[in-house]
Amino acid sequence: MPIRPEILAAIGFLGILSYGCRAAGFFLMRYVAITPRVEAWLRAMPIALIGAIVGPAAAKGGPPEWLGLAAAVGLMRATGNDFIAVAGAVGLVAGTRALGF
Amino acid sequence: MASQTTIPPFTLAGFRAGLAASLVLAPGVALYGLAFGVMASARGLTGPEAVLFSAWLNAGGAQMATLAVWTDPLPWAAIGLTTVAMNARYLLLGAALRPWFGPLPAAQAYPSLFVLGDGNWALALREHAAGRTDAAFLAGSGTALWLSWTAATALGHLGGQVIGDPQRFGIDFMLPAFFATMALAFFRRAGGIAPLIAGIGVAVIVDRLVPGPWYILSGALAGSLAGALRRADPA
Repeated sequence: MPIRPEILAAIGFLGILSYGCRAAGFFLMRYVAITPRVEAWLRAMPIALIGAIVGPAAAKGGPPEWLGLAAAVGLMRATGNDFIAVAGAVGLVAGTRALGF
Repeated sequence: MASQTTIPPFTLAGFRAGLAASLVLAPGVALYGLAFGVMASARGLTGPEAVLFSAWLNAGGAQMATLAVWTDPLPWAAIGLTTVAMNARYLLLGAALRPWFGPLPAAQAYPSLFVLGDGNWALALREHAAGRTDAAFLAGSGTALWLSWTAATALGHLGGQVIGDPQRFGIDFMLPAFFATMALAFFRRAGGIAPLIAGIGVAVIVDRLVPGPWYILSGALAGSLAGALRRADPA
């Protein structure tokens, strides 16, 4: 199956929103300045969003998922390498699941 | 408005310098592209859909976050708000380019912004700070990363088709694992742990009370507001 119309519409819509975010900050700076509070709000958004995705997933998961998240953060801090962190975490989850946890 | 109205150069040489400088970032971007391709395959997107997704959005964090709320039928409001929430940081990146890109013709500035990302933005500002003001640097570095991201998505999707069942090899855990590693980078910029704690806490509670993907946006809103409120000083 190539590209379904509904998916095409969704991708088109999300792309316009993404470009809108890129262009809007540049455009609006011509007229208004970003206050420190708004800047702090925008800066905190990605980490809050990531917490909101990962937190409930961890709460619903079991020991393999908890171990995996700890491994991802630990390996990333230790090595600074995304690939090692993700591969190690995913491998650990697959392994502990295979052991029947 | 700008005190200086010097129009910066926008040349092929600047574009090439950007391409060359971004090669250090390309492997990392490719890794995320591979992962996005695998996860898009696991979510049931076709190869052409996954590639179009990456080519048209060019936004790794937002694309991954959107997959987390991607269900059939599509929750249009939730995917739209999730994309905006993850990309809201681009408002800051774009705003910071105003003094440099402001005097450029719109036909050069606005297409350049299509390939604006965290990595090439940082590279470009460093270039500018070093006195090299060719504005095509951003477009050059962004284009290299866009190519890397889109091509890696295609490869990742192929790999995902080969793997098949996402439960195998723990592929379904790739999304949380990537977010956990990305969290470390964003954590440093957020200014403290309050946004993370508030985001997790509110999302876990809303997830138990409200059906659907609204817990993600509730958590993002609560966490980011916690970040804004922590900044008590108006200076």
